Amino acid sequence: MSGRPFLSVDPADLGFAPTAKGLAGLWRRERQLVAAGLVCAFAYSAISLAIPLVVQHAIDDSIAPAAGHHHNALWPYLLIVLVLALIRFPINFTRRYATSRTGIRVEARMRELLYQAYLRYPRAFYDAHATGQVVSRATNDLYPIRYFIGWGMTQGLQSLMMICGIAIVLFIVNVKLAAIALIAMPAVAILTYNFGRKVMPISRHVQQLKADVTEAADESVVGIEMVQAFGREDDVQGRFGEKAGFVRDGVVRQARVEATFLPGMIFLPTVSIAAVVYFGGHDVIHDHLTTGQFYLFYQLLLQLVWPLEALGWILSLAQRATASASRSFAWLRGIETIPEPESPRAVPDGPLSVQFENVHFAYSSGSEVLSGVELEVAPGEVIAVCGPTGAGKTSLLNLLPRFYDPTDGRVLLGGVDVRDLGIADLRSAVAIVTQRPILFSIPLRENLMAARPDAPWDEVLAACEAAGVAHFAEDLPDGYDTLIGERGVNLSGGQRQRVALARALIGGARVIVLDDPMSAVDTQTERHLVLNLRPALAGRTVLLATQRLSTVQVADRAVVLSDGEIVESGTPAELLASGALFGALFGEEVSAVA
Amino acid sequence: MPEGGTPRTGLSRLSRYLPGQRREVTVLLALGVLMAAAPVAALLIVRDAIDKGMGHKEPTRLAVDVGIYLGVSAIAWLLQTTLVRGLAKVGQNVVLGLRQDLFDHLTTLSLRYFSEQKAGWIIARLTSDADALSDVLSQGLTTLVVNTLTILAAVVGLFIIDWRLALSALVILPPTLIIARKFQVSSHAAFLRVRETIAIMTAQIAESVSGMAVIQAFNRERAFLDEFDKANDANRRSNTHAQWLNSLFFPGIEVLSAVSMVSVLWIGGRLITHGSLTIGSVVSGVFVLNLIFQPLQELSDIYGQVQSAGAAMEKISSVLDTEAEIHNQPKAERLDIEGDLEFDQVTFSYGRDPVLHAISLHVPVGGCLALVGESGGGKSTSAKLVGRFYDPDSGAVRVDGHDLRTLELRGYRRQLGVVLQDPFLFSGTIASNIRFAQPNATDEQVEDVAKAVGIDRIARRFDDGLAHPVREGGAGLSAGERQLISIARALLADPRILILDEATSNIDRPTEILIERALDRLLRGRTSIIIAHRLATVRRANEICVVEHGHITQRGTFDSLLAVDGPFRSLAKDLEGQAQEMGLLPQSPPVIGSRESRSASVASSEPE
Repeated sequence: MSGRPFLSVDPADLGFAPTAKGLAGLWRRERQLVAAGLVCAFAYSAISLAIPLVVQHAIDDSIAPAAGHHHNALWPYLLIVLVLALIRFPINFTRRYATSRTGIRVEARMRELLYQAYLRYPRAFYDAHATGQVVSRATNDLYPIRYFIGWGMTQGLQSLMMICGIAIVLFIVNVKLAAIALIAMPAVAILTYNFGRKVMPISRHVQQLKADVTEAADESVVGIEMVQAFGREDDVQGRFGEKAGFVRDGVVRQARVEATFLPGMIFLPTVSIAAVVYFGGHDVIHDHLTTGQFYLFYQLLLQLVWPLEALGWILSLAQRATASASRSFAWLRGIETIPEPESPRAVPDGPLSVQFENVHFAYSSGSEVLSGVELEVAPGEVIAVCGPTGAGKTSLLNLLPRFYDPTDGRVLLGGVDVRDLGIADLRSAVAIVTQRPILFSIPLRENLMAARPDAPWDEVLAACEAAGVAHFAEDLPDGYDTLIGERGVNLSGGQRQRVALARALIGGARVIVLDDPMSAVDTQTERHLVLNLRPALAGRTVLLATQRLSTVQVADRAVVLSDGEIVESGTPAELLASGALFGALFGEEVSAVA
Repeated sequence: MPEGGTPRTGLSRLSRYLPGQRREVTVLLALGVLMAAAPVAALLIVRDAIDKGMGHKEPTRLAVDVGIYLGVSAIAWLLQTTLVRGLAKVGQNVVLGLRQDLFDHLTTLSLRYFSEQKAGWIIARLTSDADALSDVLSQGLTTLVVNTLTILAAVVGLFIIDWRLALSALVILPPTLIIARKFQVSSHAAFLRVRETIAIMTAQIAESVSGMAVIQAFNRERAFLDEFDKANDANRRSNTHAQWLNSLFFPGIEVLSAVSMVSVLWIGGRLITHGSLTIGSVVSGVFVLNLIFQPLQELSDIYGQVQSAGAAMEKISSVLDTEAEIHNQPKAERLDIEGDLEFDQVTFSYGRDPVLHAISLHVPVGGCLALVGESGGGKSTSAKLVGRFYDPDSGAVRVDGHDLRTLELRGYRRQLGVVLQDPFLFSGTIASNIRFAQPNATDEQVEDVAKAVGIDRIARRFDDGLAHPVREGGAGLSAGERQLISIARALLADPRILILDEATSNIDRPTEILIERALDRLLRGRTSIIIAHRLATVRRANEICVVEHGHITQRGTFDSLLAVDGPFRSLAKDLEGQAQEMGLLPQSPPVIGSRESRSASVASSEPE
C-alpha cells in the first residue's frame, strides 16, 4: 500500500547542458524583442564606426589637409555627422529598450514559474528550506538571469560586431599600426573576465553577510523583551557588531579586488594609445599617416575598450546566470509534490467519519513519531487528542489534510483512503486550524472569508460570535475592514487564534481539525469559547488537540497519545476516573476545584 | 552636478563618524583631484605630440611626450588603486559606526517604543536603509568624487587648450544640464516605484511561503496566484517604465555629445583657417569631450542612489533621535539584590486610562506570589513593572527597599528570570537558547537544567539532541516545547526574582509538576511571581492576589481564599460548574494529591 515514504524535496543542481537548454528556451520565447535588439545593435555599431570615419575625412580634407591637397568645405562633413547622430538616437533607444524588456520579461516569467511551483510543493519542502532561501530564489537569485539574457546575450553579439568592425577599419587604414595597437587589447577582455570571476564570489558572499545582519537585527528587535529582561544587550550588540563588521570587511575586500583590476583595465588601453601616439606619430612625420587617420586610430581604440570589457563581464555574468538558473531549474523539475490520484474518487456525502488504520509516520530526518495509531472518529463526533508535549499530536492531525502522507498504514475520510481523493476536494472537506495561526496582510473580513469568499455575512458573524472574534472586532479601528499584519493592526496571539478558528468555521468544511486552537487565548475567553463552540461545531466531525482540560470539555470522547500510540480512549469523565495518563494530565486540575 | 539640497541635511550627520579618519579623507580628496587631472594632462601631452612632434617633425619630442604620457597614466593607475581602496574603507567604517550606534540605541529603547513601532519598520532601518548608505559610500562615493572632479578638470582642460574652443563646446552644457536634471527627477521617481513594487512583490512571496500551509489547506492557491500575478506584473511594468526612461536618456546624451563635437570641429576649423589655433588643439579638444560626457552618464546613474541614501539617512536619524524612556539615572546604583519586592501605591497607564490603580504588594525574600484574574486586569503589566520595562506613573516599585529607578538597569535585570506565554527563541540550537542569559554555562549545567524541566525527553527525538538547530523564532517546535526551553533559560540564569507569566499554559500538567519540583529545588530562597490560569499551578504560592480592573480585589492563601465567598471562589466555581455540566467531575472527587501522590502520577506518565 505505502509507496516510497519520502518525497524528493532537495534535488541536486542541474547540469550545464540542461541548464543552457532551459535558458535558451527562455531566450527563444522572446525572439521578436531579441531580433529587434540585434538588428538595432548592428545598425548602432555601423553608425558608431561611420562617425569617426567622417570626422577623419573632415580633418584630412578640410580642417588640416596635407600640404598641396585641395581644401574642401567643412560643413557637409559636419552635417553628415549630425544626421548620423540623429539617426542613431532612435536606433540606440530601440536597442536598449528592446534588450532590457527582454530581460524584464524573462525575469517575470521565471518568477511566475517558481511561484506556481511553490503553491504545489509539499510541507516537506518547506521543512527542508528556510523561508528566506525560498523567497530569494524567486527574487534576488533571478537578477543574474535577467541581466544575462536581457543585456548579456545582445551586448555580447554587439561587442563582437564592434570589435570586428574596428579591427577591419584599422587594418584597412594601416596594417602595421593596427597590429601594434591591437596586440594588447584582448588582454582587456581577459582582465575583465578574471576580475568578474574574482569579484562575483565575494559580492555573493557580501550578500550573504548582509542577510546575516538582517537576521541578527530581526531577532533582536522581535526578541527585544527577552534581551532586555535578561539584561543581555551587550551580547546582542556584540553579535550584531561582529556581523556588521564582517560586512565591512567583505565590502573592503571587494574594493581591494576592484582596486587591483579596474585601474589595470583602464591602464592597458592607454599603453595601446601610447603605442599609437609613438608609432603613428612617426608615420605622420614620414607622411605614411594623415592627422585624420591618427585621430581615427586614437578614437577607435577608445571605442574598443567598452566592447572588450563587456565581453569579460558577460562571460562572468554567464557563469553566475547558469549557476543561478541551474538551481532554479533543479527546483522546477526535481521537487516531487504530494501525488494526486489518477482517477480521484469523490468525497462521500453527508457527515464524514475519520479513521487512522495502523498509521506510522516519521519525518525524513528523524525516528518514528507515530507507530501504529488506530483511531476511529464517527461522523459528527468531537474527539480530543491529548498527550504530553511532543507526543505526536500535531503530526497525527497533519496527516488528514495530507500535509504529509503516512509512511505506513492508511488515513480514511468517509471510508475512502485520503490518497484516493482529489487533493482540492479533500482539503475543502477538511479545515485545519494550525497551532501557530497564520493570517494574511489583508483586511480581517477577507481573512475570515479566505476559505469561502462567498459566505453569507450573517454566517460569518455567527462564526465570529462562536469563535470570540466579534468580542474584539468591533473595537478595531475599521471593524471587520481593519487591515491585519505588518502594515495594519497587529493582533495578539489569542486574537489571531480566534480569527483562525472563525475562518475554519466559516469555510463550511465537514471535518474540522483544531491543533491546540486556544493555547494563546486567556482563560476567561476560553471559557466563553468552550460554551459557544459546541453548537457551532454541530454536525461536523472534529479532531481537537489540546493541552487544557477546559478545552477537552468540548469533546465527546478523548484519546491519549503517548510515544506515537494511542494508549487510552473514552469520555473525559471515564478517563478521569480510570485513565492513568489522562488522570496525570488533567486530574489535578479538576480535583483542585472540587 | 547631482548634489541637490535635499540629501545634505540627513547625510551631514554621517560626518560624525569621520573623526579619526579626517586626515585620511583629506589625503584621499587630494589624490582624487590629482587623479581627475591626470587624463586631462595626458590629452594636453597628446596635443603637444601632434603639434610639436608630428607637426614640426621632431621624433625626439614625440618620444619624450609618449614617455611622459605613459608616466602620467601609470601615476593615474596608482592613484586610482589607492583611492578605490581608501574610499571603500572610510565609507564602510562610517556605515559600521552608524549601524552599531543605531543598533545599540535601539536596544536601550523601551518596550513602549517597540509596541508602537512595527518590527518590520525598525528592522528596515538597520538593514535596507543602512545598505543604501553603504552602497553609496562604497561604490557610489568613488564614482561621485572621481567623476565630479573629472568633469571639472575637463572643463578647465578645455579652457587651457583654447577658451574659444571651450565656449563652443560648452554651448550644449545648459541643455545637457536641464535634460540631466529632468531625467534625474523622473528617473528617481521611476526607480522609487521599482523599489516599491519589488518590496510589495517580495512581501507577497514571503507571506505566501510562510503561510503556505494555510493556502494549501484552504485551497486558496488560485487566489494567491492572482494576487502574485498582480504584484509581478506591477513590478514588470515599473521596471519597463524605468528602462524606457533610461533608454531615452543615454542615447540623448550621445546626440548632445555629437553636437558638441561638431561645434568644436566647426569653430576649430575656422580658427585654424585664421591661423590662431593648431590642429593638435582641435583633436585633443574633441578627446576632452569624452571626459565630460562619460562621467556625466555615470553620475546620472548614481544620482538615484544618492537620493535614496539621503532619504534612508533621514529615517535612521528619526530612530537615533528617539530618546530612551527608561534609562539609568546619573547616580544609578549597582545592587546585588536579595529579592524583597514591594509595590507601593503603584498607578500606571499605557495611554490615558490607568491599568493599575494604586496597587500595593509585598513579597518577602524567597516568597512566591501568584496573580490570578481575568485577562486585561493588569497581571502582566504588574510583572512588566517588576522588570522595569515601564516606570509607574505614581508610587514606586522597590526591591530590597530601593526604588527601581535608582538602580543600574542592566545589572538589575540580569538578576531576573522572565518566562512569557509565547516565548521568543533565537536561532541557534536548543542549547544556545538555554544558555542565552548565561553564555558561559558549562555543558553539564545546560544538560542538568534541561533534564530538570524535561527538555531531555524532547531532545531525544532529534538525532543531535540539545544541539538540534532552532530556526527563526523557534519554528518547528510546539508552543509547549518553546516554553520548556525558555523556562530552562530562566532557571540557568540563576535569578533572584523569577517571573512566570502564563509560562506553563501550553505545557501538560505532568511536565508542569516536573518543572515545579525543579523550581522548588533550584529556586529555594528566591522570590517568584507566577501568573497562571490553572488553579493547580497557583496552589504552591504563599500568597495569591486576584487582580481585577487594575485593583487587587482579594488576597490570601489558596485554602483561605477558597474558604470564603469571593472572586477567587467564583473563578474556581466557574471551572467546576463547567466541568460538572460536561459530566467531567467524577462522582467521588479524588483526594487532593499530596506531593508524593503527584510525583507517583508523574512517574507513571514518563515513557521509559
